[in-house]
Amino acid sequence: MNEILSQEKSIYIQIKEMIENDILRDILLEEERVPSTNELAKAYSINPATAAKGVNLLVDEGILYKKRGIGMFVQLGAKKKIVEKRKKNFYDDYVKRLMAEAASLGITREELIMMIQEDGAGGNPYTKENNKAAG
Amino acid sequence: MSKIVASGIVKRYGEKEVLHGIDLELEQGKIYGLIGRNGAGKTTLLSILSSQNPATEGTVTVEIFPDDTKPDDWQGKSSGAGNGSNIVKMRPHSAVVRESVWENPKALSHLCFSRELNQMVGNSANTMKVKEYLKIASLFLPHWDQKMADRLVAEFGLDTKRKISKLSKGMLSMVTIVVALASGAEFTFLDEPVAGLDVVAREKFYQLLLEEFTETGRTFVISTHIIEEAADIFEEVILLDEGKILLKENLEELLERAWCVSGREDEVDRATAGYTQHHAERLGRSKSVTILEPKPNDAGKNERTDRLGNADVTVQKVSLQKLFVALCGEEH
Repeated sequence: MNEILSQEKSIYIQIKEMIENDILRDILLEEERVPSTNELAKAYSINPATAAKGVNLLVDEGILYKKRGIGMFVQLGAKKKIVEKRKKNFYDDYVKRLMAEAASLGITREELIMMIQEDGAGGNPYTKENNKAAG
Repeated sequence: MSKIVASGIVKRYGEKEVLHGIDLELEQGKIYGLIGRNGAGKTTLLSILSSQNPATEGTVTVEIFPDDTKPDDWQGKSSGAGNGSNIVKMRPHSAVVRESVWENPKALSHLCFSRELNQMVGNSANTMKVKEYLKIASLFLPHWDQKMADRLVAEFGLDTKRKISKLSKGMLSMVTIVVALASGAEFTFLDEPVAGLDVVAREKFYQLLLEEFTETGRTFVISTHIIEEAADIFEEVILLDEGKILLKENLEELLERAWCVSGREDEVDRATAGYTQHHAERLGRSKSVTILEPKPNDAGKNERTDRLGNADVTVQKVSLQKLFVALCGEEH
């Protein structure tokens, strides 16, 4: 939970995603207490109502649960849930945008597939070409 | 006290009318941001709300619990059911009394408007020492918390033996912050509390404010020109423009319907047709505008989203500061 808040997204969404990331990275473990909305508010200098909005979204999704009088806890199986949710969003969030940008630059499907397959081994074909031309 | 209600507030100084019919409700347990340009009437409004200045027309009332108990004493006791549902018992409406604030000691004991300090008294320097000023504040504010005042003085490193006329701008702000936070008042107004404070002291102020707020649920109204860094601590924002309230809204919800649209001019105009274009800026063929969607319950939201999504334009979130400039920065 030490990421810096950005301007591009609503703060409560960022709070929600930070908690999710911490669960994915085993910084917050299942059945463990998460910081309270007041703790989050003080840590990020944000209004407690904003922090609560983010936390409540995670409660609605079954990732956190409330123990009355004690606080919020990570639900058993939360990590799996987050992975599944993000997998579902992966196409919309990443692949669609990747294809749109590729199309606007005239990169063909084949070139795109090659780049993915060569990842690591082949590297960036465009800078490679430039290097060749320069060398 | 659960609410402050101002209705039809008009303020005239001689011929000049500075507030033109303000209707405003402040609820308990929120941090409000009051923003507006220089001369918009922020300080006048705060001084009228706290009865330090009479309104020319209109009334300020508070809702008071007759026995003067705090809501904690009766709210949310879930009658031992313990089934996890959040039952909040509401006090019968008839038990709440509306009273005028003006010359009403009970209502005033719950209000604190910590004003900017004057370094001059008439034509001479204000030679009162900081500790004397704090002593007077403690006598006038019935819920004064001396421990907190001492702690804040130490945190800010204030020298209480100094004369007010010898304080720097930042130190003057610190004194007003000490008074506001230690006042213990249920409704506390701060006018430009961070003016002149360095960035470390400003951060400290936000921390102290949030600490006090989360512990007590006191209501704070904070006017500020340093919008960008204070925005995150506001729950609601009140935008005052030329003596009128332009909007009062939950900040998150407001920012979720504000967008900056940029791209080629004709595309931008097509995508934003039907919306008021605020703060239009052109650079060659490109143009950027700020638009404010209607509130979600007004419907039509999907239509807009589709139109913006289909157009070849860049749509970005807008910060409160940018939105403020877009709405209030236009020449009138």
